[in-house]
Amino acid sequence: MASLCRQIVRGNTLRRVLFSSASSARRGYADQMMPDPLEHATGMERKELLAMEAGNDDPFNMKVLKKSAGTRENPTLVPSCFDARIVGCICEEHSTVVTWLWVHKDHPRRCECGHWYKLIEKELP
Amino acid sequence: MKNFNHPYHLVDYSPWPLTSAIGVLTLVSGMVKWFHNFNLNLTILGYLITLLSMYQWWRDICREGTLQGNHTILVTKGLRWGMILFITSEVFFFLSFFWAFFHSSLSPNIEVGTTWPPIGIMPFNPFQIPLLNTIILITSGITITWAHHAIMNNNFNQMKQGLLTTILLGFYFTILQGFEYIEAPFSIADSIYGSTFFMATGFHGLHVIIGSLFLLICYIRHINNHFSMNHHFGFEAAAWYWHFVDVVWLFLYISIYWWGN
Repeated sequence: MASLCRQIVRGNTLRRVLFSSASSARRGYADQMMPDPLEHATGMERKELLAMEAGNDDPFNMKVLKKSAGTRENPTLVPSCFDARIVGCICEEHSTVVTWLWVHKDHPRRCECGHWYKLIEKELP
Repeated sequence: MKNFNHPYHLVDYSPWPLTSAIGVLTLVSGMVKWFHNFNLNLTILGYLITLLSMYQWWRDICREGTLQGNHTILVTKGLRWGMILFITSEVFFFLSFFWAFFHSSLSPNIEVGTTWPPIGIMPFNPFQIPLLNTIILITSGITITWAHHAIMNNNFNQMKQGLLTTILLGFYFTILQGFEYIEAPFSIADSIYGSTFFMATGFHGLHVIIGSLFLLICYIRHINNHFSMNHHFGFEAAAWYWHFVDVVWLFLYISIYWWGN
């Protein structure tokens, strides 16, 4: 029994010496850690986490696009995975309606309010 | 392409909705047969089909979420709303039993002797087993919070210990309620008291069993490393459900066991 206790104590001491430098906190047997969240995630969940880690808080383009100057030379860029995308133009700040228009690849389009949109290829997350 | 430009989970074709429908239709037909004093064969078959469908459907959801990574932040929000609405519907389910209880107990009619508990009914002493059960459930609420904090702090073993303690307390509660039911000096057929008492506490007991199984599944999933510190909604849903069952018990204890005594 005494030798068994000694073995356990010695084993744990050795383990502490070996692993204490690896992790920031010193932890014994009772505190086995869980998988790292990023290592644990896979598929779209992982892509989303990686995008957020890279500073992209909107990897799926779900948020409203910020308008640029919107001139012919400097149109608002509309990212898309396809050859065309529907844009809802809020022509002025207090507008109560949204003007919908299709924007096709390689064909910048002007809304009736004069704002220009151009389709660009979206980078996949 | 479909999986790269949106955060939604487009589910694959699955046979489980169909097999579940067949299972519950078989089950209800079997129960009709049973109620008319035929044998139990169709009921057993119905249970078998339903349980197999449940197991495989939920197994697939675990695979989709954990092993295929289909549960993005937006999908998880949908799951959260689903659980919130489900528990809300459960609240109203229990509300109806409380309504039946208070309808009958607040102005007891002539048939039960214009008194509550009715004449001839010997209710339980609320300060014996029911009080112990109250303490058990409140303690289990503490231990599940311990498990939750452990998982948020990435602590595998404490999550395991906290969750196992909660599950054991849940089964302890069920065993004590079982003894209480065996010892009961009244039955579900004994006046409106027995009817409301066993309807409310019986459905609560069923929910405790379901909640314990839900937590047990979480325990098994945790052992198999299905969770991480920011991917454990299955456990959170079980915890919400457990707290709901806990709160229902407090209302049962205060109104039916204590005030109704």
